[in-house]
Amino acid sequence: MSTIVHAIVGYFVLLMTVRVLSRRPGGQLTLFEFVIIFLIGGVAIGATVGNDHSVTNCATAIMTIGLLHRVVAWVKERWPPMAAILDGTPLVLIRDGDWQTDVMRGMHIDPEDVMAAARGKQVKSIFDVKYAVLERNGTISIIKRDPSSA
Amino acid sequence: MPVTARRLVENSVAKVNEEVAVGEDLAFQRAWWRFERIVWAFFVIIIVLDLGGAFGRGPMAQAQVTSANHSLSVHYERIERAGTPSILSVKMDAGAIRDGQATLFVSDSLVSGLGARRIIPEPASTRIGDGGLSYTFPITEPPFSVRFELEPPGAGRFPVEIAAGPGAAAVTAVVWVVP
Repeated sequence: MSTIVHAIVGYFVLLMTVRVLSRRPGGQLTLFEFVIIFLIGGVAIGATVGNDHSVTNCATAIMTIGLLHRVVAWVKERWPPMAAILDGTPLVLIRDGDWQTDVMRGMHIDPEDVMAAARGKQVKSIFDVKYAVLERNGTISIIKRDPSSA
Repeated sequence: MPVTARRLVENSVAKVNEEVAVGEDLAFQRAWWRFERIVWAFFVIIIVLDLGGAFGRGPMAQAQVTSANHSLSVHYERIERAGTPSILSVKMDAGAIRDGQATLFVSDSLVSGLGARRIIPEPASTRIGDGGLSYTFPITEPPFSVRFELEPPGAGRFPVEIAAGPGAAAVTAVVWVVP
């Protein structure tokens, strides 16, 4: 019983903490973000299962979290504002060649992060990027400038 | 062949510069950044309170009660955490000792609510009754201390009565256990 309550509380606390941390835990993992993920995961395990390390307890906790995740996904699908609250919305980082500095600052994203994504798309220079979009899953999409329009 | 539901593809996602369908919602994002600042302020308050012991294991959690005749004093944590070990210690002086032995009465809540697991030193005898347990300790020289190792099984408010023997004036230690 207590494991189920702990798992539910832990799920929502973790969801809130990760949501306010930044957009990037799943998108561009650096060593800096690995520290957060490992440490939070380790702490959450202790509080969820407590001193009961039985298979029954661990299985119950896993099933609770799995079910909770499914319910949250269902709510997100049925009610779009919940999807925006939990996942955010895509954000434009470069708009028609201009840095969107307030968005970059708000999302704690450096130009180097955008350039790394651009290099991944074989874009050699930032001047060749027309749009850069921070997606909901934390990745950065790059749309190249049309060479004929340059 | 089963018929599946069909729906026409719609371009409902908001475009940037009438060019790229992104679905950006800057008004929502600005509201979210304000909410984030509130959440971080809340986290800071929680951490500061925790460092101070508002949720146990800190200076604010330490407490002491003393009997009217000062023969018995109890040191305890007024805020404890469920499943976390702690110590409640009772100090008795000469006024609580008779015929070379001291009798200590504790109410049931010390065992049922606060999960008393061990008493140091071991009592010579234990008697159950009057809504609690009475322990007898042989003593050669006052003052004398008894330590109870606690591990509360669950959250709640647990008043514990402690007296130098059944019928003696009791002190009450109120302990809050947080989840």
